[in-house]
Amino acid sequence: MKKTGKLSVIYLVLVFIILYTPIFYLIYYSFNSGGSMHHFQEFTLDWYEEVFHDTRLFIILLNTLVVALLSSAISTIIGVAGALAITRMRSKRTRNALLTLNNVMIVSPDVIIGASFLILLTAIGVNLGFFSVLISHIAFSVPIVVLMVLPKLEEMSPTLVDAARDLGASSRDVLTKVVIPYISPGIFAGFFMALTYSLDDFAVTFFVTGGGFSTLSVEIYSLARRGISLTINALSTLIFLATLALVIGYYIITKRGSKPSGAEARE
Amino acid sequence: MKKVTQMFTIVFAAAFALMYLTSYLNALHGYSGPDTLTIYNWGDYIDPYLIKEFERETGLKVIYQTFDSNEAMLTKIAHGGVTFDVVIPSDYAISKMKEQELLIPLDHSKLPNLKHIDARFLDLPFDEKNVYSIPYFWGTYGIIYNPEVITDIDFDSWDDLWDPRLQNQILLVDSAREVIGMGLNSLCYSLNDTDMDHLQQAKAKLDMLIPNIRAIVGDEIKMLLETEEAAVAVVWSGDASEIIGENDKFDYVIPKEGSNVWFDNMVIPTTAKNVEGAHQFINFMLDPENAAQNAEYVGYSTPNAEALRYLPEEITSDERFYPGSEITDKLEVYENLSKRMTAYYNELFLEFKMHRK
Repeated sequence: MKKTGKLSVIYLVLVFIILYTPIFYLIYYSFNSGGSMHHFQEFTLDWYEEVFHDTRLFIILLNTLVVALLSSAISTIIGVAGALAITRMRSKRTRNALLTLNNVMIVSPDVIIGASFLILLTAIGVNLGFFSVLISHIAFSVPIVVLMVLPKLEEMSPTLVDAARDLGASSRDVLTKVVIPYISPGIFAGFFMALTYSLDDFAVTFFVTGGGFSTLSVEIYSLARRGISLTINALSTLIFLATLALVIGYYIITKRGSKPSGAEARE
Repeated sequence: MKKVTQMFTIVFAAAFALMYLTSYLNALHGYSGPDTLTIYNWGDYIDPYLIKEFERETGLKVIYQTFDSNEAMLTKIAHGGVTFDVVIPSDYAISKMKEQELLIPLDHSKLPNLKHIDARFLDLPFDEKNVYSIPYFWGTYGIIYNPEVITDIDFDSWDDLWDPRLQNQILLVDSAREVIGMGLNSLCYSLNDTDMDHLQQAKAKLDMLIPNIRAIVGDEIKMLLETEEAAVAVVWSGDASEIIGENDKFDYVIPKEGSNVWFDNMVIPTTAKNVEGAHQFINFMLDPENAAQNAEYVGYSTPNAEALRYLPEEITSDERFYPGSEITDKLEVYENLSKRMTAYYNELFLEFKMHRK
């Protein structure tokens, strides 16, 4: 085993400090009674109280979560189907063409996607609100899922499918018992990527919200015009802690799950 | 496969549970009934208590949505597909909305409280006879400075900005109309001047201001002043009152040559579904006591003459934010310029910015 040098440790610590300082700065001021991010006056929990009393903000938070969960789940299903279809393409040219079209959606700026959705949805008479946001989130998540699942599918040896067929598996069995279990890490990765993209999307959502429906990023942006209220700090702190708890929880579960397989003994 | 299906079941179950919770909360607070009124306003630009009071008085449920620029608001409304009953755009945006036929004429018989509005703020060029709009807040454009740092200049004129002692001290707002207007004002021309000669003179005068300019910035101007990064800036009075609220070392003056006066106004756009409720809301906000309370919360100047009686003396006697008619007579509203003139203003402003040092 190679030991990590002192320099690399310092580098690592430095990078993490740079990454996390803004968040801790924000958390620090969420306890400020002064009302702004310039001078820390006294410790207070008022802003947290305000968050819990503000049902509108709470509804917006729930909206954000619902849109994120639904759009990433639906786009995972569509994306997996798409990835399967792409790998089954016989002609290399169509496959590449499809992949390029898929990638164009990822690299094209959010603003353009948002604006085009606004134009399209209003042209066909969809009312702006929950569904318009959901549809556009699904649309920009699908290509991400495809991209996450595709390498797994390509890595899978075709002999696995052939073997399953030889043993008498129907195509349904092949899909549910061989292919999907094999690519499931890609599916999970795709789902979580889609989830994070949806949670922090601002540009697309900004164009297609309306009718009383709003998500957190859009709401915070409109609030920021008159200086960010420290309730936003408090809310962000809570979200940060919730994510942290989720990550730790996920880590504990996977650790426990992998114990019996003897992975730990090797460490 | 089991794991994957498990995950999807959990995700969908969670999503629907949350959706149920949201709709429950919405129904609990009445956000999803037929008796709703949607207001589209700038962020944090109304006392939330007044919304609750309005709901109690009328039984209507208010949905409060926010925008951050007139342009964003215009796009949303022009595209339709949304329901906004009352919107609060700035003066020039109203001219645009009128041109695009996005406004519903107001029924003045349903707005008895209109009589409380100061006559100085009615019948303005952007909406003659107030057919479509009622002023909500108003303000000016002037100089904010820190007398502790700038001890030997007593600002009262635009020309004071050209003082050589202010080298590298002044912050300007990055906006063509405001900066060119300042040049025109300092020469005692109209803000809406379209005479090429006058504009060239203004530009030449502005070029001489360049050694004094520290930066041309956007919204961060408030933060830069609050933290005393700069001592002088040219800002809107709304920003000035916020800065002074945060750091009372600063002082604000409206230059004696004249300046711009701006208005944010209540209008009913064509997207409105509850026109009756919209009138009720506008009338409610015109009530002197409510207007006073709102002005106290937001900190901007109210155009409601009766409301001044309910405001603390120290606010209403503040000539900086409630100037008398001898000053307001010299103030001008921006008139909509022709496309060609707007382009020319922008071009001059760009040249001015590129002329820097």
